[in-house]
Order: sequence, then structure tokens, then C-alpha cells
Amino acid sequence: MNAQEFRSLILVKKPRYAKSRIPVMEAFANKGQSKSEYSQFGPLYELYIYAFRLGLKKGLKLPLPPRNLTQDFVEIGKWKRDSSLVDFLLMIIFSRSEEIGFDWNDLEDMEEKEINKVVSDIIDFIESYANGGLQYIQEEWENDNLMNSSYLFVDLMRQ
Amino acid sequence: MASILNKISFKNFFNYYGDFNDNSYDLEEGVNIIVADNGAGKSKFFNAFLWLFYDQILDSDTKQKVNVKNAGVKILSDKAKNETPIGSRVDCGILIEYTYGTRYKYQIIKSFTATRISESITNESSWQFMINDIEVNRTELVLQRYKPVYDESEKRQIIDRLIMPAFRKYSFLQGEEVDDIIDFSKKESIEEAVENLTDIKRYEEIHELLAGFKKKAFNDLQNQMKANNADNERFDNAVKEKENIEHKLEHEQEKLQEWKDTFDAAEKEKIELDKEYANAEKRKEFDDKLKPLRKKLRDKKEEFENFLDRINNRFFDGNFAWIAFGFEDEVQKFRELNDRYIERRYEKKALKSVEENPNEYFHFLPENSPDSVSLQNMIDDEHCYVCNREAKEGTPEYQNLLKLKSRPKDKQTEQAFVKNDLKNFFGDIQINAQPFYTKFDNIEESIIKTKEKDEELKNSIEKLRKQIKSLEDDRSSILISGHDAELTAQEVISNYNGAVRRMENANGKISDIILPKISKFKKELKAVEEEIKNLNKTNDIPSGYNENYEVLNDLEEAAQNAKERVFDGMINLLEKHANIHFKNLIKNNDLSGGILKFEKNPNGSINFNYIDSNGNNVHGSSEGFQRMKKFSVVMAIISANNSEYNYPLLADAPISAFGEGFTEGFFDAIGNVFPQSIVLVKELYKREDDMKINELGKRLLKDDIVKTMYVNHVPENSEQIDLVTTQTKLK
Repeated sequence: MNAQEFRSLILVKKPRYAKSRIPVMEAFANKGQSKSEYSQFGPLYELYIYAFRLGLKKGLKLPLPPRNLTQDFVEIGKWKRDSSLVDFLLMIIFSRSEEIGFDWNDLEDMEEKEINKVVSDIIDFIESYANGGLQYIQEEWENDNLMNSSYLFVDLMRQ
Repeated sequence: MASILNKISFKNFFNYYGDFNDNSYDLEEGVNIIVADNGAGKSKFFNAFLWLFYDQILDSDTKQKVNVKNAGVKILSDKAKNETPIGSRVDCGILIEYTYGTRYKYQIIKSFTATRISESITNESSWQFMINDIEVNRTELVLQRYKPVYDESEKRQIIDRLIMPAFRKYSFLQGEEVDDIIDFSKKESIEEAVENLTDIKRYEEIHELLAGFKKKAFNDLQNQMKANNADNERFDNAVKEKENIEHKLEHEQEKLQEWKDTFDAAEKEKIELDKEYANAEKRKEFDDKLKPLRKKLRDKKEEFENFLDRINNRFFDGNFAWIAFGFEDEVQKFRELNDRYIERRYEKKALKSVEENPNEYFHFLPENSPDSVSLQNMIDDEHCYVCNREAKEGTPEYQNLLKLKSRPKDKQTEQAFVKNDLKNFFGDIQINAQPFYTKFDNIEESIIKTKEKDEELKNSIEKLRKQIKSLEDDRSSILISGHDAELTAQEVISNYNGAVRRMENANGKISDIILPKISKFKKELKAVEEEIKNLNKTNDIPSGYNENYEVLNDLEEAAQNAKERVFDGMINLLEKHANIHFKNLIKNNDLSGGILKFEKNPNGSINFNYIDSNGNNVHGSSEGFQRMKKFSVVMAIISANNSEYNYPLLADAPISAFGEGFTEGFFDAIGNVFPQSIVLVKELYKREDDMKINELGKRLLKDDIVKTMYVNHVPENSEQIDLVTTQTKLK
């Protein structure tokens, strides 16, 4: 397996979110549609990446519920295509390889099956932190702690 | 003795939130100026006097005057309302202090108490209002200790003495009311002014009395004649002829009255249309200014909305890369991991090579280390510069250098040493992710800049809004003062021309037909009366009857002439004074050389024209110019008064339709006419200035005629509930 094949293995994955997060997803990502009273992101992946960042920085790791209670969306490879964003995400993810449970050099000697397991762990890693971040946003929202400001997410990030 | 206002204070009165002490204006003899932008309590200040004199306020929404007892919710400060818990009470009132003459000073307080009974503060039914008794206190100036006045009629007198009701219309000007003070189309308004200024009423009374006596004297005389000479046919005929002429005269006079009414109606319509015509033009001026501003506001708003919508894009846009905020450690860690990975990769590769070629240790060296040029030098020199030892041709050291140099060629035939070669995977990430991890230092600054840009957009929107609001306010004041036109411009013009035609027609009938007839009848009547008198002489009747009639006849004529002389004299005096004031008012304008001319109309009203230096009538001038003329007459009415004018001028924005040149002349002029004036004005306000006044304001501040100057402030962009007026005393 070469670098390109390995990269594709990750980029074809469609990360999932719990169905209980649908209200948050709809409230804070407008997918180019109607506006809400709060500051919003455009596509779902923007909110998802933001939630992932929030979860990671706040140490909020929350595994997803069983698969039938979750939902997927666009594959990682299509997140802001042709931009450096995905590379930066991979950079963050691979800097946490210890936590995910693999070693860079070991990857080069693994069988395909083992590699698939690592990729699956990476996706779990993304999903768990994104889930944690989404839960945080949801709670703040439900408790009326979110300021109705255009800088809502900027301020939340800097807290 | 003049009344001089010393102080006015407010308690929770409209925007004037807080106690009397928090909202107090000390005033002095001379000119007092209160500068306030729209919405900064100008009209509210004036409302205090409406309350004082009439128990009314002017509702700024409906432009109607309403009784204080029905307007409590509007009058009471919103902030005070909001801060009053349910079940509690709050006071609202005005306090006015004035000095009359050299002995007494008075204090008047009008107030009400409101009790909150439910939640919604702006709802009428949430409050109970109780109007408190008027408090009036008096002190001798030397003692300075107020004692209450209890007698209600005395209280009324004290309030009235500040400005006597008959003079309030000249002393108490709100908005564009000056237009309605002197309505030159109405005979009464100029007569009323003359009446207020002269003893003409008494001449009229004398004239009426004498006319009655004359009639009685004639009847007495006639009765005597009939008794003495019942058969005198010539006398009877003369009397009959007299009655006949009197009848015709009466008929002509009735006709005269009808034509005068026609003239009046037509003139009134023409003047109404004058205003509408001027207003229509003035409005268009505002609309022309408003249109581009409104478009600019729409564009700015759209720009701002787009800007806000795109803020979250900045997390993911490589030019801003906000999402990278706080990831410094991760990026550092990635680099370390990558270095270690590459290092271990070489070790692995080297070990593998060592396994295959146990004697070639240089597998531990990274590629291109040393570089091929250096290696060639070492081979040529037969010397290893790495360990600084000889490597003569043929020795194993020399062989080693050769091997090292040909290493890249060997590599091409090299076997894969890992199952999955991921070197480029990590390398590419590190290169491609650059836009995000090179911006750590700039993210904070970029967020601040974004917020600054946000603020900048908001400010320019707010500035545009204020400009528009201010123009709209000015525009709407024109609509209200000028009875907004529902007619189209074409209709205005055709009605205007129709009215002018009717006026000319009536004027022609009166001057060319009726008045000559009346004059002819009057002459005939006089001749007949003379004939009757001569006939009497031939009769033997007591001379007292004749003399009595003659004397009364002369007296009646004299009284009539005296009345007319007094009236004409006063009109001349008013014209003279009006011209003096007018010159003062326009001295800073470009207008010059013209004069104001009073001319009597056939109906007795006064035509008031501006004649330019070539003697031509100037028509169709702007509303501002019209008002300037009228203001000259108001001041003339005051200054032409024989005695000194004893009342202060209270004026709310009377100059909003004028230019700066007039504004300056205005302050000069009122200083000369009124012992004290309190003028609320927007035109001197300048938000961007430290002192909040413009250049003209600063000039006036230095002027000796200006005794005090205040600037009112309201917080910018505040909610209605926090809209609180505060004041700075500049002088």
C-alpha cells in the first residue's frame, strides 16, 4: 500500500453523528438554507469540525451510540475540497496517534486488515470528540447560555 | 417690571429621568440657549410650559395637544417606569422659578404621582395617576425663604404673571407656530395686535357712543320740526330723500360686505396654496436628499449582512484559519513524530541493509550525506574530510568513499524495505496543511480586525440612519406645519390661479363700482343733511336742537378719523419696526436692499410684501423666508409697544427652516427685543465635536448677548428604556 492508497482509505470514510444531535445540526448549520436566530455554519462538516475541535480542546470524548442510532454524512474527502483544511485535520489527528493507539512506523509494516482497524480507530476518534463537542453545544443551547451574537463560535472557541 | 425665569427643573419628565436636582437649568436675563439634537428633549422642555400654562402637552406622535391627566404614561420617564416595582409609586413633575420685579421670586411646581399596578409599563391600565395640587411658593428676594401661597386665585395670578395670556402668542413659540400667529389674510389678526398695543378700543367705543348720540339728536330735531311746521312740504321731501339715499347706501354697503367676503375667501385660499406650493418644493428637496441616502443604507445593510454571514467561513478559509486556534502543541507534536518516524525509518532501512551487507555501515548515513561534490573532492584529494584521515587510492578507506559516491545508483535497484511506504503521506500533510499552521500568531489579530470591521460597518449604518432620521424629522415638520397637500401639483396651480382671479374680480367690483357709489351716496347724503339744516333755519325751532345735532355730527366724524389715524399710525410704526428687525435678521444673508411694505387691502386686512431694491414685489419665496418676515412682525409688535416688553420669549426650534446666516441674526434680534429669551435649538448641535456644538454655536458662546448655554445629551444607540437626557452647562 502506498501513501495515496492509505490517504484514500481515510478520505472515503463518512463520519457519523448521533441522531440525538440532529436538532443541534439543524440549528447551527444552515446548509445554505434558512437562517435561525443564532450564528450559523454553512455545511454540516463545518459545524462537525468545529465540534470536533471543541471536544478535543475541552477533553470531551464521548463514544457514539450503536450504529442504528447514528447517521452519516458526506465523506471526509469532500470536506471543503481542494483545500488544506483536510490536511490540517489529518495533521491534528496523527499528532494524537498515541492516544488513538498506533505508531507511525508500525503502520508501514501492517497487513491491510490491521491498517483498516487503525483507520476505523481514527474515525472513532473523530466521531467521539465531535460527539463530545456537539453535546457541549447542545447543553449550552438548551440552558440558554449561548449569546445570540455573530461571534458566538469565535467567543466559544476562545473561552 | 419684567418677569425673568431663573430656573426650570424636571423630575422623571419624559427623558429627563431622575429628581429635580438631576435635571435643572439655571437661566438668566438675556439670551439662554439649549442645544439638543432630535430626540434629546427639546420639545419635552417646551412641554413643561404647556403644562404650566394650559395643563397640556404636545403628543409628538399625533402632534395633538392633550391634557396632562390623559397623558401620564407618555409623560412619565420610561426608565423611571421600569424601575418602579408593582405596587410602588413614582413622582413626575416640573419646577419653575421666576423673579418678578425687584422684590419677589416665585416657585411653581406641577406634578403627579403614578402607582404601578401591573407588569406592562407602557400600558395605560398598568398605572393609576393622581394629579397633585399645584404648589406655589413666594419669597422676598432679600430673604430667600419660600412661603407657600394657598389661595387658588392668587396661584393662578402668579402663573399668569410669568407671561400674561394675551401676550403668550408672541412670547411662546413652538415649532413653526410663528406661521399662525400673524395670519395676514385675516383682518382680525392684525387688528388684534393693534388692539393689544394701543388704546384703539377706546376710540372705537367713543365713536360708537357718538354715532348713537348723533342719531338721537337728529331724531329729536326732526320731531321738533314736525311739531313746529307740520305742513312744511319741502322739509318732508328732503327727509324722504335723505331716507332714500340712506337706504341705497345701506344696500351698497351690504354688497360691499358680500364682495369683501368673496375677496377674503379667495385670499385665504391663495395663502393656503402658497404654503402648499412652497412646502411641495421644500419636500422635494428633502426627498432628493433622502433617496440616495436610503439606497446607501440598503447597500450598507446588505454588505453588513453578508459580512456577518461570512464570519464563520473564516474558521475554514485558509486566509484566516481560525479553526487552527490553540493547536500549536499538536502541530509541534506532529513535527516531532514525523522526525522520529523518518529517523526510525532510516534505522530500519539501515538495519535491513546491514543484515544484507553487514560491512556497509554507511547505510546509517542519510541520503546525500555527504553530498556528491564533497565526496568527489575527498576522492580526488585521497583524504576523508569527515574523520580527517588519509584515504589513499587502493586502501579500504578509498574504496569506501567510492562506494558512498555511487550509492544513489545502487538505490535504483534497491528493494522495498517496508510493506506500506507512507513517507509521502506524512510529508504531503506537512506541506499541504501549511496555510493553517503558519497563522497561529495572526488569528487573534485577525479576529480583532474582523470585529473592528463589524463596528465600522455598524457605525456607518448608524450614521446613515441618523442622517435619514434627521432629514425625515425635518421633512415631517414641514408636512404638519403646512397642512400636507393632498392635491396634485397641477390642481394646486389651477386652484391658485382661480383664487387669484376671484380676488382680482372682487377687488375690481369693490374699487371700481361699489366704493365710488358709496362715496357718491355719502356726498349726496351730506348735501341733503346740509339742505335739511338750512331748511331748519327758516323754521322757528329752539336753537339748542340744531346745535346739539351739529356738534354731535362733528364729534362723530372726529372720532372716526381719530380711530383711523391711530390704526394707520400703529401700522406705520409696525412697518418701521418690522423693517428694523428684518434688516437685523437678514444681515448675515445675501438678501439686501429690500424692504417690507404694509398695504391695506379693500377688506381691511394688511398685505405684507417684500419689495426689492428696484421696487418690485418679490413673490414665491421660501417658507423660511416667509417665516422670517413674519417673525419680524412679531418682534415689531413687541418692540413697537410703548412700554417695555415684560415677558420672556420661550421658543422651540423656530429657526429650523432657516439657514445659518438667519440663525445668527435671530439671536441678535431677540436679544434686543425680549428681556429674556430661552431658545431650544437643534441647528447648533454637532455630534462629532467635543463640545457637541458647531462653529456658529462656538461664536454664540463667546457672544456677550448669550448668557447661558446648555447642551443636552442622550446615549447613542440606546433602547427607549435607557433613553435618558443629561445636560452640560457650557456657559
